[in-house]
Amino acid sequence: MAATTLRAVTHRLTTTPVDQLPSIAAFLATSLSDCAELLSAPQAQKPGKGDSDHAAQIHKLKTRLVSLLQDRSVEGRWTAVVLVKAAVEAGQWEMLRGYEPVVRSLIGILAKPDPVSTRKMCIITLTRIFHLTYQYPTLVREITTPHLPGFVTAALNLVSTLVKLPSGSTRKPKPNTPFMEIVLHAILELVPRHPTIFRPFGSQLRSLLAEILGSSQVYYSEQVFDVAEQLFASLYKCAPKDKSGPAWTDDCKSTILSAHRAADHVFRAVAEQWESVNPTLVPAKQNYSNELADTNPDALGLPGWAGIHFGTDRLITLLRLLSNFISMPSAVTIAIPLGSILDLTSRLTSVTVPPNGEASQNGVQFNPQISRDERELLWAELPRIHIACMDLLAHVACVLENSTTAISQSILEQVTWVFKNEKFRRDVRSASYSLLTSLLTLNGPAMTKQSVASIANVLRVCCHDLLPQIEESGVAGKFQSESKSKSKGGQGTANADSFLNPELRKNQPLKAGPQFPQLQQAASGLLQSALASISPNLLVPSVRAEIDRTIILTADKNAMLASVLNPIPAAKGRGAGASIMPFLVRSYSDQMDVEALVRPRMPVLMTSAELEAYTEMEEEEEADEMADEPFTAAPPRSSFLNETAAAYAEAKNREHSPVSVAPLHKRTYFEETTTESHISSASEQQPVQVKKARFEENIQQAPAATTHVSTPRSTKVEGSMVPQQVQVAPQVSTNSAPSHSAAGTPLPVDDSDDELPTLNIDSDTDDEDDEDDDVAMEG
Amino acid sequence: MLSESFVASTLSSAKTPAATLRDVGICLQEFQPSPQLRSTFKKSSTNTNCLAVSPSHIFSAQAEKAVVHVYSREKGNQEALVPFPERIRSIAVAGAKYGDVLVLGTEGGRLILWETCTGRQVATTASHLQPVTSIVVDPTSNFILSGSDDASIHVWSIPNILSFSRPAQGRDRQPQNAPIRTFSNHRAAITSLAVGHSSGRHNIAVSTAKDNTAIAWDYQTGLVLRTYLLPFSATCVSLDPVDRAFYVGYEDGSAQSVDFYRSNSVQHPLHDSSAQSTPAQVSAEDRWLPPAADSGATKALALSYDGSTLLSAHDSGKVLSWNIARRKFAASIADYTHPVTNLVMLPPSGLPHSSHTLNRTIHAIVKPRLDNAFADPSHAPGAIPADYAFQAHIVAPSQPKSRAPSQFSQALTHAFFPDSIIEDGLAELAAFRQPGGSDLIRVAPAAALADTAQATAQDTHVADLEAEVAMLKKKAAANDTARHATADEVAQLRSNLTQLQDYINELHGKQEAAQQDKVQRQAKKEDRDAKRREAWFAAEKKGRNGDAAMKKTEIDDGMLTSESDDQSDE
Repeated sequence: MAATTLRAVTHRLTTTPVDQLPSIAAFLATSLSDCAELLSAPQAQKPGKGDSDHAAQIHKLKTRLVSLLQDRSVEGRWTAVVLVKAAVEAGQWEMLRGYEPVVRSLIGILAKPDPVSTRKMCIITLTRIFHLTYQYPTLVREITTPHLPGFVTAALNLVSTLVKLPSGSTRKPKPNTPFMEIVLHAILELVPRHPTIFRPFGSQLRSLLAEILGSSQVYYSEQVFDVAEQLFASLYKCAPKDKSGPAWTDDCKSTILSAHRAADHVFRAVAEQWESVNPTLVPAKQNYSNELADTNPDALGLPGWAGIHFGTDRLITLLRLLSNFISMPSAVTIAIPLGSILDLTSRLTSVTVPPNGEASQNGVQFNPQISRDERELLWAELPRIHIACMDLLAHVACVLENSTTAISQSILEQVTWVFKNEKFRRDVRSASYSLLTSLLTLNGPAMTKQSVASIANVLRVCCHDLLPQIEESGVAGKFQSESKSKSKGGQGTANADSFLNPELRKNQPLKAGPQFPQLQQAASGLLQSALASISPNLLVPSVRAEIDRTIILTADKNAMLASVLNPIPAAKGRGAGASIMPFLVRSYSDQMDVEALVRPRMPVLMTSAELEAYTEMEEEEEADEMADEPFTAAPPRSSFLNETAAAYAEAKNREHSPVSVAPLHKRTYFEETTTESHISSASEQQPVQVKKARFEENIQQAPAATTHVSTPRSTKVEGSMVPQQVQVAPQVSTNSAPSHSAAGTPLPVDDSDDELPTLNIDSDTDDEDDEDDDVAMEG
Repeated sequence: MLSESFVASTLSSAKTPAATLRDVGICLQEFQPSPQLRSTFKKSSTNTNCLAVSPSHIFSAQAEKAVVHVYSREKGNQEALVPFPERIRSIAVAGAKYGDVLVLGTEGGRLILWETCTGRQVATTASHLQPVTSIVVDPTSNFILSGSDDASIHVWSIPNILSFSRPAQGRDRQPQNAPIRTFSNHRAAITSLAVGHSSGRHNIAVSTAKDNTAIAWDYQTGLVLRTYLLPFSATCVSLDPVDRAFYVGYEDGSAQSVDFYRSNSVQHPLHDSSAQSTPAQVSAEDRWLPPAADSGATKALALSYDGSTLLSAHDSGKVLSWNIARRKFAASIADYTHPVTNLVMLPPSGLPHSSHTLNRTIHAIVKPRLDNAFADPSHAPGAIPADYAFQAHIVAPSQPKSRAPSQFSQALTHAFFPDSIIEDGLAELAAFRQPGGSDLIRVAPAAALADTAQATAQDTHVADLEAEVAMLKKKAAANDTARHATADEVAQLRSNLTQLQDYINELHGKQEAAQQDKVQRQAKKEDRDAKRREAWFAAEKKGRNGDAAMKKTEIDDGMLTSESDDQSDE
């Protein structure tokens, strides 16, 4: 099939007029990727007839693509770029081998005045080709080493101009080029794979990126900024092989130093109380009479800036750079300077916006040499800095995961401090929620009462953010105060539906304002992790009640699950804590996790009795009409067992269902020596079955046996669960069988399970048969 | 390929092993699909509970020495030899899947926590009165359970021990680095500990002691859930992956499974408070007996990933496997001659599971720093020291918020190009094909130079044409305005004309009126004349002077005439 498709594609490619090719390009590309098997098959290993035909078709395709790449029309080249990408993806190594001309023509297109889309796709295709060659030294030698420098130069020429200086060449970005983002992405993708080839471009790239990141005149989009930061944080990989570790440390250290220097300037309106743990750090001297500015390039080579807004921008850029330094895949082992990072964030978060703009309310002291205007500008800019700080700390927590433990208390203190003073900013709230979520999931279970108390206020505000805003704020306020007073009155665990007043809500139109999905998402995540991770004993009842109320009103399924799974502990002198389970089931009764919570399939363990029931069930299905006559059913059953029990026992033995035959067996003997319980009889059957099974194994190779020989598979986990569910059916049916008159009498006298007649009752003759068998086998 | 392996360590003995196992102290053995020795690490001799395995390293606390050997799994060699002030009697790794923190229990009853990525080392108080012989870390990596020969089990909070800054202590001031809870229901030395697999708040722990008991308890509250009276003293314990049962090993080499779920009670059997106070008896006859009497004491137990096979390590140097479903011995997996003291199952390799993939690896551990570099800086208590750094190799990007994939990365991994890019391109090509545009661009020559020349030539041509067009447009505009002006004029004139016509009509009316007037006057005049003449004739007839009468009437009429004359003059 693939061969016909390939022939059709080459035929269409050669016969369709060039200017009509673009419209069928997508179709041809899809067809090509369907031929992946054929295109990627090694050429040498295609013996037999018809293969020469395939080889000819592939050759035809390759030559047609090369000629199309050099076609005179724009359409031809556009189509060729699309198809080359499709062919390379499909054929991989086989397609690239000996296909160096195509790379050369693609690089040639970059210099032509082709449509923007052709050149963009060209860059992507080339990146992909160099990306693929990375694993194959032969291809690297053949394609990458000769052509990658040409590609990098061509791509850089698209977005920048080369300035030759005596000290070395630098690059200046071209304004308003549509290629900036895509070129930076391509370089970012290739630097980690071919660092040696990028080494000569290191300084050019650095100057270009410094211009972009440090620019205050030219506007770059957020995406360009983002990728430029990532690329800047990867530049250390261009350093010689053994030096990339120290290069990373140097870059990281100078980023932190630059941030401190920028902070020296930006924070000059306040007298900082912070003291660095690093004694070598000295604050920059500055002239207070000048306008706020730093004219000299900093340690990273970013140009100077002027004005508090651009100073803040610089500080944020540096913090984001730092985040990228620690979270991007590294070339070697790196030493993340946690001490310095926490030192920097503790400095930046120690200055917060004072309430009412007055000094000394939150420990901020003003610098009297600076005008009030500048100070108020600083208050306006501060939240942005703190958001970037929290972002950085979230990256730290994400990289370290459980190793954050040592510093999580410090992070927690910084977040709650910022939140306390700047919660009026929505972004600050959103960032704090996300950071707290990651801290709680890591260290929530071991949190102390003091730490939980410190975030109680955050949780309250979080609830408020989630609740639908009602137009008339007065009612909502009354509503809240009511709930608070109520909970203080000792009814903290009162059922949350007392807060629900449907009449009130019906009349109030929801506030039609802008929506903040990000904030809501972060807030919902925080509530969820707070419920799941923090010990319910430590949460103040009023906070817990408010959280429960919020998640009911917002119908947050995961948070409701977390609340149900971590119920409020029953306190002494009070009834059992109310659970919000009814709300969960009302809203999401059709969801599987809710079903598992409400109707657990217990017990989860497969016992011998269940194994019995399992085989019985099969019998029921197979021999339906025989169920009426259990006595006559015995002979067919034994023959049936020969087939099924072998398979089941085999499956069970190979699988993992731990059957607790032995303890059950023995225990029943201990406790019920006098009473003839059906349990003992049932458990006596078990060894027989196993023995039969083994016997069968020897005689006839059960087909199931061979399939289970191999290593554990994930599907087996479900395998053991299945019998529990179906177990009930045969019990009922056998018990209700009309001729089973003896069923009632030997009911369990066992203390624990008198409510459930769990085991099927077989006739006495059956048992005797089994016992006989048992004896016979043992004997 | 999917495979499952385990790490076993031995205690050196007088026996001489086979040549391949000479000097070997730790073996990495493949268990499934085919049992075979994969690699070995030399020069180690460990007691029970003295082996810990992280994804990158193997740590073994040496018997009779105050030294921990560190082996690199990646390089397959011994990486470091770390001395400690006391003998280490048990070790475990904390830090969830990365295993960044090593927990060591000392002879003196303390715990030492060593962050292997930073070199920081924190010791706790010596809360145990006897050596710490077993340590486990809970799945959330927040709590440590340590069992000691003094019959007590302490629960420790890792964040409490490791944190640089501590939350302000309230009234219940506790000494720093002290356990948060103590479990003292056992009456003899603790032999082994196992912790459940739940990350929630109701996780269980199972501990065995030399008083022949095994207790299942809740380590978050210290509540005893169930006490089991074992036939003998258990040497080791292991928990089912789903916490349905636990398995114990005995001195005689046998193993036994103890099932939590025996009754069909709806309530979770462990949380049935009526049964919590009654110890459950476990029968000695239920044990799974080893195949030979000389297999020696069971030293360690481990469960396969799927929970269907139990592995046990024995004094005789054998590792046996037991079939849990059949409840009996299955096979002998390996024989290391020396007593096998530890068994650690490794997660299966080849499962493409996101929770097992690591975002960073550790190539070399950082030895504990003996200097006091990580003490609090004097001026800022609780601050993190400046040279506290975390050494790791980050292999995969880790973002707190998943970024929306950029157009570039989408395109890069696409089979050709995403539809959005193709559509953009087609739109752009269509724009090129527009009349006017296509003529200029379509003739794209092969040589770039000629291309530019032609382009400039055409550019000038276009400029000329454009100028011409502009001029024409101007002219047209002028014409237009002129035309507008004339049209206005005509309209003006027309209106004038109508005005004039109206005037004429008016004048005609007036003329007519005047004519009528005149005619009337004429008629009146004639009338008068006739009257006068009549009067004259009448007078003449009467014989009076006709002239006088005529004059009289003339005077009467004079006023009228003058009036009418006046009127007519108007």
